[in-house]
Amino acid sequence: MAETGAGEILCAAAQQVLETMFFTTIVGERQGPPEGPAVAARVSFEGSPSGTFGLKLSAEAARAIAANFLGVENDEEVSAAQTGEVICELANMVCGAMLSRVESGSTFQIAHPQLDAGEEPSDGAVARYLDLDNGALALWVRFDGQ
Amino acid sequence: MGYRVLIVDDSPAMRSVIRRVIVLSGFDLEECLEAEHGGEACRLLQERPVDVILTDINMPVMNGERFLEAIKADQSLEAIPVVVVSTDATEHRIRRMLELGAQGYVTKPFFPESLRGELERVLGVNYG
Repeated sequence: MAETGAGEILCAAAQQVLETMFFTTIVGERQGPPEGPAVAARVSFEGSPSGTFGLKLSAEAARAIAANFLGVENDEEVSAAQTGEVICELANMVCGAMLSRVESGSTFQIAHPQLDAGEEPSDGAVARYLDLDNGALALWVRFDGQ
Repeated sequence: MGYRVLIVDDSPAMRSVIRRVIVLSGFDLEECLEAEHGGEACRLLQERPVDVILTDINMPVMNGERFLEAIKADQSLEAIPVVVVSTDATEHRIRRMLELGAQGYVTKPFFPESLRGELERVLGVNYG
């Protein structure tokens, strides 16, 4: 898949998911991934094609997004464990929304999302960096064999 | 008497959100059971009958497709309406789950109104 096409699909999937269930808006693109404390998750998928998807949120965005999703008014009441669970679900949904666009004529399987250190693959990945109304977000996808 | 609902999803956060949507939608909820995967859900259903099941597809141990097959193969459970709640929006997957006997399908991400509407439809109620 062309880099531009994959990047556009990534951004469209993230926008759909963030606006619908996390009450968060993308305000623009940024030059690089979030700096400082962050929460990251990745998930592998099998289909046609297979690959791995990951995201990394600045810590303030992760807390705010978790609070929005769980319906908690004060994001300081959201535990680190709850934030991790929500960010994993966010990764699951963005990955699913992306694959539903890429693989509409076939089926795919998404593995259980895992929290990780937020390192992007050094080669073969398509990445996009976005500013949100509550922090920063990096998204990447690497399709097997590319 | 209220409804007994079973939510099957490996994400605790998603189970919490679905439960909240059901409560805020005004459903007369008697009991809301939760399971992390189809295997746990099958065990729960042997002990506690429910009125409707909402299930994810991609789950460990027993995924939603195998869970749905297990329900429809069990005469004591086959009449329970099942609504699939999944990130998979492909036509192929939706058609497959409906062919297996699911009565509804909601794609994540969803607006609360979508889940509420699908639940009302399969239960034959309208909370306005």
